[in-house]
Amino acid sequence: MSTQTAFSRRNFLGLTAAAASVPLLAACGGGSATQGGGGAAGGAVKFWDMPWAAPAYNDAAKKVTEGFSGANSKASYQLIQWNNFYQTFSSAIASKTGPAVSTGGGFQAFQFDDQGQIAYADNVVESMKKNGMYDDFLPGLLEPFKSSKGYVAIPWQLSMRVFWYRKSLFEKAGVEAPKDWASILESGKALKKIGVFGFATGSGSGNNFGNHAMIQMMANNGGGVFGTDGQLDVMNDRNIEAVEFLLELVSNGIIDPAAVGYTSENLDADWKGGKVAFGPHATQLDHRVGDKTSDIVVASPIAGPHGDKHGLVFANNIMMYTNTPSQEASEAFVEYFLGQSKTFWQQKLINALPVFKSITELPEFAADPNNVKIVKEWQPIAKTFAAQGTTLNGSLAALDGGQALNQFTQTVLTGKTDAKSALQAFESGLKSVLKK
Amino acid sequence: MSSTTTSSGLARARKGLAPGGSGGGTGNRKSKLSAQTSRTFFWLLLPSVILLVLIHGYPLFHAGIQATHDGNLIQTGSFVGLENFQKVLSSPAFWKAAQFTLLFTIVGVFGSWAVGLGLALLLRTKIPAGGTFKVLLLLPWVVPIVVSSTAWNWLVATPDSLIPSIFRNLGLGTPLFLADPTLAAVTVMIFKVWVSFPFMMMMTSAALASVDTTVYEAANMDGASRFQQFTQITLPLIARSTYISWILMTIFCVNDFPTIYLLTGGGPVDATTSLVVLAYRTVFQDFATGPGVAIAFLMTITLVVVSVILYRQIRKSSVE
Repeated sequence: MSTQTAFSRRNFLGLTAAAASVPLLAACGGGSATQGGGGAAGGAVKFWDMPWAAPAYNDAAKKVTEGFSGANSKASYQLIQWNNFYQTFSSAIASKTGPAVSTGGGFQAFQFDDQGQIAYADNVVESMKKNGMYDDFLPGLLEPFKSSKGYVAIPWQLSMRVFWYRKSLFEKAGVEAPKDWASILESGKALKKIGVFGFATGSGSGNNFGNHAMIQMMANNGGGVFGTDGQLDVMNDRNIEAVEFLLELVSNGIIDPAAVGYTSENLDADWKGGKVAFGPHATQLDHRVGDKTSDIVVASPIAGPHGDKHGLVFANNIMMYTNTPSQEASEAFVEYFLGQSKTFWQQKLINALPVFKSITELPEFAADPNNVKIVKEWQPIAKTFAAQGTTLNGSLAALDGGQALNQFTQTVLTGKTDAKSALQAFESGLKSVLKK
Repeated sequence: MSSTTTSSGLARARKGLAPGGSGGGTGNRKSKLSAQTSRTFFWLLLPSVILLVLIHGYPLFHAGIQATHDGNLIQTGSFVGLENFQKVLSSPAFWKAAQFTLLFTIVGVFGSWAVGLGLALLLRTKIPAGGTFKVLLLLPWVVPIVVSSTAWNWLVATPDSLIPSIFRNLGLGTPLFLADPTLAAVTVMIFKVWVSFPFMMMMTSAALASVDTTVYEAANMDGASRFQQFTQITLPLIARSTYISWILMTIFCVNDFPTIYLLTGGGPVDATTSLVVLAYRTVFQDFATGPGVAIAFLMTITLVVVSVILYRQIRKSSVE
């Protein structure tokens, strides 16, 4: 039998190198953008939007976008998936095929501002001051977007992290819903006796709720990853105290030991199935898990051991890019889109919290008591990822969903650490990312 | 029958020779091409070569630039030489990921090969509904990885999932398959074997089908046991195909992003972070483009080395 090779070693090496280059190509590959520059055909403003809610939202947003006719211009709508969105934006912007206006990741505007790609929204803010929209913003939302050069973006909806609880499980366990950290621990022990976890979280594949819970507990205690000057301040006493408390919850079995591997679907299934009774989550958790009995409700803000009460908020924003057919048209579109955004809440297409007081007063929004409670009690005390500071910046993107925070969260949830060691490793990981 | 006779028979069998038959060597088939033919070949190949250079060459070149510069996906920064490689190679996270990648690849390649070989041998025997059985066995390879990872999540993720429940009912405790670092690593590797064995089974089945059955008749006449036939006839005769499947599976395992990322995301506490997951995170979560591409380069070099070593084995296994 002859098995003489039909191709040479050199050929084989070439083939192997080509096959092996897959990771390289994955690492350096471009995005999927195919359209022309910041203006679509005919010089229209190209608007890229993210799937913020169910597909019905995207249809409505497209309709709103295509209804734009300001500054002698039109606008086109393109939906961008969250999967690899930063790569999609980056490669499109690099090749001058990116949008003129977009929504995006919470800190995306700051990242692209660092790279000189953002058009500042100062004119939009000035215009909103004249037409009353500026005064309509909920308190404290706009200023974090003001850098030394100008407003890098305008918030248009809020992703809040608040505490939720399931009333019937607390009744069954014979305890009150927690009002402070001590009662989280106390009620958690009582809930454990009926086979229910008293602090729901998770940090498995694609699940950021665990990461957010870590920062939320630090912020709740008056701490945070960054100091008031915007510099890293991981090892402060409030953070150590918060992590010690979380470790106490883990060691007492109040946090599910399997939570470290939970996807957000696993976590939601636990809420739905009555396996958990209390914990931080996003707005409209009750809708998310299909609870129509009003058994899952928003808790009032929880007091830390020093009396601090803070929540966590991500202000999702709309931003403009320097690559645009007309800056005037971009600005007109942003103002138009913000003005039209109430339709998303009127039609109940979006779960997030609005940024305008007038929308929170819409009957469609105010009919949900959980919404009202979040606006009234949680929004005014909510802090951003920049806590203890107030100014946002591009570094926060590396914190949000980066390796350092994820590893820190998983370390804490496994319980095989002490607070200082976990925080030191976290700080070290953050430094290595932020100094680049 | 003397052992000498048996060895001789097996030796002939390994060469694929029927009893008493003559060898089937093809001799040196190299022929000199005329200058005209060579030119024709050159012009016919040129479009493909240009395409390959554009599709593979340019991204590799660009990746090389990114690996030796700082900056980000939009703007390449200043030239830093091999600093990104030094940074990566001095990082404990890289070596931890490399260690897991090695283990994941060894288990993935040999685990899927062992299962695939076993089933391929089983499928050679006449079993009822063999065709249907073959199709069912292909399902793990055919089903999209997103679907199978979701199914595995349902099976193992929570204490109330099916498999932990079975363990609990058997009095073996409640293993946290995705929450315990060791168990998560084991789970991911078993998942990889499960996803990959149909490919190995098909490769091996094809190789086995090409083996002349008279070889086994000769071995039987020589008194070789089933085990001897397997180790000294079957394995050598399918060696070439085996090495090729190992090369391919090695590349599949080292480059495997979705299997790991969808099931564990690289956790818990980086227990299942492979190099490709680390490269992805470094570029797209930590936004460190240079070090991330450097990791990918190191992976590529390693894969080329491993492929060359295995390719040499293929040549050794070739029988003239």
